[in-house]
Amino acid sequence: MDALLPSLPLLTKGVVTTLYLSVASTALATSLGIIFATIQLFAWRPLKWIVESYLYIVRGVPLLVLLFAMYYALPYAGVQVEPVVGGIVVIGAYFGAFMTEVFRGAVLAVPKGQWEAGRAIGMRTPRILLDVVLVQALRVAGAPYINTTIMVVKGTSLVAVIGLADVTFVGRQIVERTLAPFEVFGAVAFVYFVICYALSRLGRHVEKKASYVH
Amino acid sequence: MSFDIGFMLRSVPILAEGLTTTLALALPAILLAAAWGVPIVVALMSKRRLLRAMAQAYVEVVRNTPVLVQMFFIFFGSGVLGFPLSGFVAGLIALVLQNGAYAAEIYRAGIQAVSHRQAEAGLALGLMPFAAFRIVVLPQALRKVIPPLSNQGVLIIKDTSLVATISVAELTFQARLLADRTAAVFEIFFALALFYIALTMFFSLVMRLAEVRLRIRQ
Repeated sequence: MDALLPSLPLLTKGVVTTLYLSVASTALATSLGIIFATIQLFAWRPLKWIVESYLYIVRGVPLLVLLFAMYYALPYAGVQVEPVVGGIVVIGAYFGAFMTEVFRGAVLAVPKGQWEAGRAIGMRTPRILLDVVLVQALRVAGAPYINTTIMVVKGTSLVAVIGLADVTFVGRQIVERTLAPFEVFGAVAFVYFVICYALSRLGRHVEKKASYVH
Repeated sequence: MSFDIGFMLRSVPILAEGLTTTLALALPAILLAAAWGVPIVVALMSKRRLLRAMAQAYVEVVRNTPVLVQMFFIFFGSGVLGFPLSGFVAGLIALVLQNGAYAAEIYRAGIQAVSHRQAEAGLALGLMPFAAFRIVVLPQALRKVIPPLSNQGVLIIKDTSLVATISVAELTFQARLLADRTAAVFEIFFALALFYIALTMFFSLVMRLAEVRLRIRQ
């Protein structure tokens, strides 16, 4: 504890950065997920192939590699961005692929009969989508969406290696000074645990609420 | 911005040096995590409340904290305790601890996905409870866990890149060294991405084959 107290202001700053990164990356990932899931479900073939290859790359390449690639390559490409922005873009794009699967799976989980029923009573496609399918799909998407959000929060810890001062990065700095890795990394892990555990409780709650009684 | 394919090809042997380390880490990590998941799921589904609570607490802690922080905790922590672990070993332990918890959850979901009537039918035929589990439930559960285990394996392969941050000379580490030395970043990271895609594709393919091979013909 003695090692921790003087470092508390620094650690707090790191927590703020982590929260900020988590919220912004989740927002970006969610938006991309909605757009790409829509393309995959409804758009014409060539667009689908583009999304498909993006999903493929993200599924096969580690987030760390993508972060390094951004960090090293952008200056050579002549693009100047703030590291925070770069981090958010890469993390958001990476987890956007996971979000795409979440939303796509949720829409596909709604039985075909629901579409047909809508058509049978004379509804138009956008109507059916909004009033019949999406309301049911969102229930299905709730729990996996929150699980993916937990992955985003944990994933933000990787920005520490490209020099962004999130809570993991700050933890490493403090350890170098205090040589108290258990206390410091324990505290860092605790920060993530509090955020992610709260989210996972929320996820379980959503899952319970959303499950029908057949 | 230019792209030199010749350079990219020349970087392959150097990256391949890292590939051996990546494989040497990923393979035991996947196998040990799958194995470590077994005692955890036994504890998770145990009738003893204390054991169950301990397993649940373990799963919650490792799943709700980043594996990178766990690696740092083990790597730097072991040094302070006086038995410094290598980055490789610390990384392997962290990967197994975290993914073992995920594997346990996958096993549990697989077992619960088998209808309890199946076990009851076994009991009705006079099987002892464990035999009913082993002969009736387990073979069906095993088939159900292959696809999610395959996904988890892909995540493990990708997460082996994290040990580059505790100076293990695997693929990503080698790529960074090359990038620092040559400044041909596009070629190097493109080649690196191809390495990982090939690795994960090959692993998914093997798991898919196992899935098809074990499928019950109807």
